[in-house]
Amino acid sequence: MAQIITESLVESLARERAFQLLDKGSAYEILGPFDGLESPHLAAQNIVPQFDDGMIIVRGTLNGQQTVIVSIEGNFQGGGIGEVSGAKFAGTLEKVLKECENGNKIYPIIIYDTGGVRLQEANYGLLSIAEISAAIVALREYVPVIGIIPGKVGSFGGMSLTAGLCSALIMTREGRLGMNGPEVVQQEAGIRELDSRNKQLIWKMIGGAVRTESGLADILVEDDIPNYQDAIQSIWNGEIKLKHRTKNVEQYLSLFKSLDIEEKITPEQAKEHFNTKPANVNTDLPASLEGGNSTGRKWFDLITNGEPSLSEVPSVLVADTSISGVKARVIAVVPNTESNYYRARKGEIGLLEGWTIAKYVRQAIEEDKNLTEKRLILPIVDVPSQAFGYHEELFGIYLSCSAAVDAYATARLSGHPIVAAIVGNAISGAFLSHGMQANRLIALNDDGVNVHVMSKKSAAIITQRSIEELDEAAKEVPSMAYDIQSFKKLGALYNLLDGVNAKEPNSEDKAVLVEAILDAYKDIQSSSIRDLSCRLKSEIAISSGRKASIQVREMIDAQWK
Amino acid sequence: MEKLIYSFPASKTIEQPAHVGVVGSGDLEILVEPSDDNKTVFEIRTGITGFQDTWEKVIERFVSQNDISALIRINDFGATPGVVSIRLAQAVEVSTNGANHN
Repeated sequence: MAQIITESLVESLARERAFQLLDKGSAYEILGPFDGLESPHLAAQNIVPQFDDGMIIVRGTLNGQQTVIVSIEGNFQGGGIGEVSGAKFAGTLEKVLKECENGNKIYPIIIYDTGGVRLQEANYGLLSIAEISAAIVALREYVPVIGIIPGKVGSFGGMSLTAGLCSALIMTREGRLGMNGPEVVQQEAGIRELDSRNKQLIWKMIGGAVRTESGLADILVEDDIPNYQDAIQSIWNGEIKLKHRTKNVEQYLSLFKSLDIEEKITPEQAKEHFNTKPANVNTDLPASLEGGNSTGRKWFDLITNGEPSLSEVPSVLVADTSISGVKARVIAVVPNTESNYYRARKGEIGLLEGWTIAKYVRQAIEEDKNLTEKRLILPIVDVPSQAFGYHEELFGIYLSCSAAVDAYATARLSGHPIVAAIVGNAISGAFLSHGMQANRLIALNDDGVNVHVMSKKSAAIITQRSIEELDEAAKEVPSMAYDIQSFKKLGALYNLLDGVNAKEPNSEDKAVLVEAILDAYKDIQSSSIRDLSCRLKSEIAISSGRKASIQVREMIDAQWK
Repeated sequence: MEKLIYSFPASKTIEQPAHVGVVGSGDLEILVEPSDDNKTVFEIRTGITGFQDTWEKVIERFVSQNDISALIRINDFGATPGVVSIRLAQAVEVSTNGANHN
């Protein structure tokens, strides 16, 4: 009965998918259901957990090649990433990275079926996705990281950022790839922006066929096991040229600078835009300071001593400055009420912002490439969210975010110390794109400083609970809370600064932050570690905040043959 | 979430552990582990509360047909009694014949 008779990947459960793809008799599972590593946070909220937390890791060979498959179970909690499932994913990639560094090439394959962060564990998902992203960027230098999106859930939310980082993507027609699910876009932006019930439109926007035709995915396959295996092989043996999309900053940034969205662009037109080389535009983008006096801008001005921004996109401020003698590039995302992208006028990270961050981080990497002492990069974090809109999804906002993640992670790996200063909101995909890849996170202890993954209203709709129930659950599970003190309990913050006026900072407030930045900078320079592992080594992480994350990694190590 | 625990006398041992199903809508996950206690012990966690009577009937029926000394753990996400019975039968078959994913 357990014999697998179907050759369909789409119709199979996550575990079957992994075993189906690998050579018969070669595969074994790591941290399977009998190990009983389930989510400690779901039961605490009276939600039935799953013994493997919906994340399946299988090692074996494919066409004789050493392979590890990470397969997400879309049927369990919508494939949402929680602490344990996220640690299984990140920990596996980290292990593969170590093997590769030691000259033992193991080829990673990710089978996506996920709505993104598991809202019931919220900020654990955020931390995990940052760690997964960091590992993919590092790993890509050794082996191609292949992502498969067979459907039925597809790949959404923060996980779509990790899909964007993959060396190559294989999709089926049933697979979908986007950042904000259609229901959430409708909830946040209204039914006129996007009617989530219009399934035909949605498939034309974000389905596997259009994503492949637009160059956002590499291979479209019919759902049959040998097709996936052939597609994987063709990537491994170089038949498929890797596109390095997230590094292709000029092409995408030119497109989004020149795009006119006054009238809705149809999916057909969007495809044409993707496949036409955009003209080099040097026109100034419309800008307005009105309503632009955000917390992020105030801190940017303070830290840079009023240095004018060198960025060509008004909503992303970039300036080089010296902080007590330390050369630094400061980057902030701020509101621009005149932006053509009407869903990204309040300081959200949208199509333009992610690619612009990527541009200026990569510029610093390039300029400093021959220096032993690389510039400090200082993202000032005050970002309300990613942009929720029809055009954003149509044109792949996830990839814009991936590009920013990639740039920061690459800068970190090439030796740029990165210290993120959280002075306002640090939310969801926006925080992942701007801040989360930093070597050290520091934050102001202020009620205006929040870290979370989704507005309460949307989170309530998606998890089918009331806002009161969510607030109640947050008391038990700190990762679900929105305030910075709760975020501190997860152990990822290097420093939480008391007594600083976050919203109306003066020179004394500046002095406190600058001292903390320099302290973090020195801490980074005192060690040769360039990954995000310090978040798992803090006292709080070890004693309570990341216990499960640490245990999962130890167990992967122990079961790895 | 409701937790239910049942225990029945049993005499026969089983060959190997089994795992079937998924904690997804209308489905459930079953983990069967052999034991030497001469008991069939059920540990059930279900997201649907207030159906204890129904669970008892389904479990009693299963025990009347299967004599296995095992710990059977169930994570239920709203499976109907029919689905529960089929998954249990599947789990027993796997623990007898082996679940060979390879």
